[in-house]
Amino acid sequence: MDPAVRNLLLRILRKIPTGKLEETLTKWTHLSRTQQQSLNYSQSKWILHENIVYLCEENGLTMKHVSELDMIYCMENPTSATWRACQLTDAEDDASSVELISFKEQFKAHLSELIRNVSIKIKKHDDESIWIRIAWGDHFSKPNHLKPTYVVHYLQTPYVFICNLSSKNKLLLHQALVLATKHGSIKDANLSGRSFHAVRDLLMGHYNKTFPTSHSRPLKERNLSPTHPNIVKEHIEQAEKRQQLAREAFGEGTVPKLERATYTLETRFRGGSGIDTFIDSERPFKTVVTFESKSLLASLRHCVSSGMAESPVSPLLSSITQKGRNYFVITDKTNKGPDMTTQSFRSNV
Amino acid sequence: MLKPFRKVPVLNTANLLLVENEEQLQSRLGEIILQIEKDVKINVRLARKLPLPMDTQDSRPRIDLVVFIVNLMSERSLQCAEKSIKCLDPGFFLGKVCFVVTGARCLSVSTNHLLTVRKMAASLHCPLLFAEDQTSEGVSTVAVRLLGILKVAAGLVPLATGLSLNSLAHCVLPSDLDELDSLT
Repeated sequence: MDPAVRNLLLRILRKIPTGKLEETLTKWTHLSRTQQQSLNYSQSKWILHENIVYLCEENGLTMKHVSELDMIYCMENPTSATWRACQLTDAEDDASSVELISFKEQFKAHLSELIRNVSIKIKKHDDESIWIRIAWGDHFSKPNHLKPTYVVHYLQTPYVFICNLSSKNKLLLHQALVLATKHGSIKDANLSGRSFHAVRDLLMGHYNKTFPTSHSRPLKERNLSPTHPNIVKEHIEQAEKRQQLAREAFGEGTVPKLERATYTLETRFRGGSGIDTFIDSERPFKTVVTFESKSLLASLRHCVSSGMAESPVSPLLSSITQKGRNYFVITDKTNKGPDMTTQSFRSNV
Repeated sequence: MLKPFRKVPVLNTANLLLVENEEQLQSRLGEIILQIEKDVKINVRLARKLPLPMDTQDSRPRIDLVVFIVNLMSERSLQCAEKSIKCLDPGFFLGKVCFVVTGARCLSVSTNHLLTVRKMAASLHCPLLFAEDQTSEGVSTVAVRLLGILKVAAGLVPLATGLSLNSLAHCVLPSDLDELDSLT
């Protein structure tokens, strides 16, 4: 076995937790059933990995097979890196007729035309998504399988999700994607997160949304009432209204896990005189407000439902779910949304 | 504006209004108070802030004691209490208001918050209780003390009135604090 292949295999194996290793190897199908049964998963990781490498050497597996293992693991656990969403625009007339085989051929042909040493692997997931693994090289070096780029595209939708893409290869990939999907151009959708599923659900609207209604909820769902008959809440109406508002803005039940939202404010300083530093009002005055949390949407929802944030919900916050993006540039000078909620948010997280 | 004597009192009943912006301690306190008191009928009303909404006015009994729960770790809690006090009828301050402070043990709390609450309680001649809200013993201790004040304020204790209790138990600022203030 080539040392590079062995190196990559070991690296991939180290990435996979032992609990998921058996499942992943079964999906890989390049080890026979008896070979898999001979593996002892209770052994130490190091010995187990050596055994797997030995079996792979026995089967004469190459780089192609090993990169497939990486891809299988990434498809099952797409939370290892930051996923960025992109949107294809200016669809051509026959864009909706693109199907898997022609997309595969087109994409491979266009990308290998643009760059010589590149290794592309395309696989279809169970949920109709196309997963593309690209190992980049350049004119003088072989494809680097240690840092592959992953691209996910749902056919007939304008959305593409990319992770681990260096700026050097960005243009090449964008061009190949645009040509293969028969679109005019591609643009950043201003949405990124560590969980692929969250980014996808947010952009494609696949999660539990509550739509604004003027009716209050049925009685059985009211769980706010206190336990004892002698305890009465004075603000129960408002509390229910806040809950409803929170659900409308950020969804119900488990919401997509987003890690951050960034607001960039670009404006000019318009304060009174006396502050010399800002007096040069020709220069733009930039402010960045970032909200961070393990699950940002759940935190924001709690802020609103518990009354910590002002209600009604600031449109800047609710547009995270409504527009499916978490990077905003605010050039409108009258908007003070993020400043208002910063303080209340900090007290929660 | 909440008035103390708008409604007629009911025999053998005491009504407590707990005002807390965070809604963390108030329902626990209410439940414990209801558990420990068996002889007197007690009604607990929970509110985030004053003024209270108009639509519950008819069902609301005569309030015998208003308790403001201030969490020192949150500035908002303090601001909310300061605003809410203005919505009370002055008649309440004759022995029908009490302050409870939580989180005073926390070291990261700025001393200014505590000082503000103490000044507020002292200027209004109201009792100020310190509560430990992290342990269940702490909560039940406060509940017992509040229940005592409530029974006096509701006139259920012979020979004691809220006003007389207030004159004994109201918060006093140490004199050196005043001097410090006048210096700065």
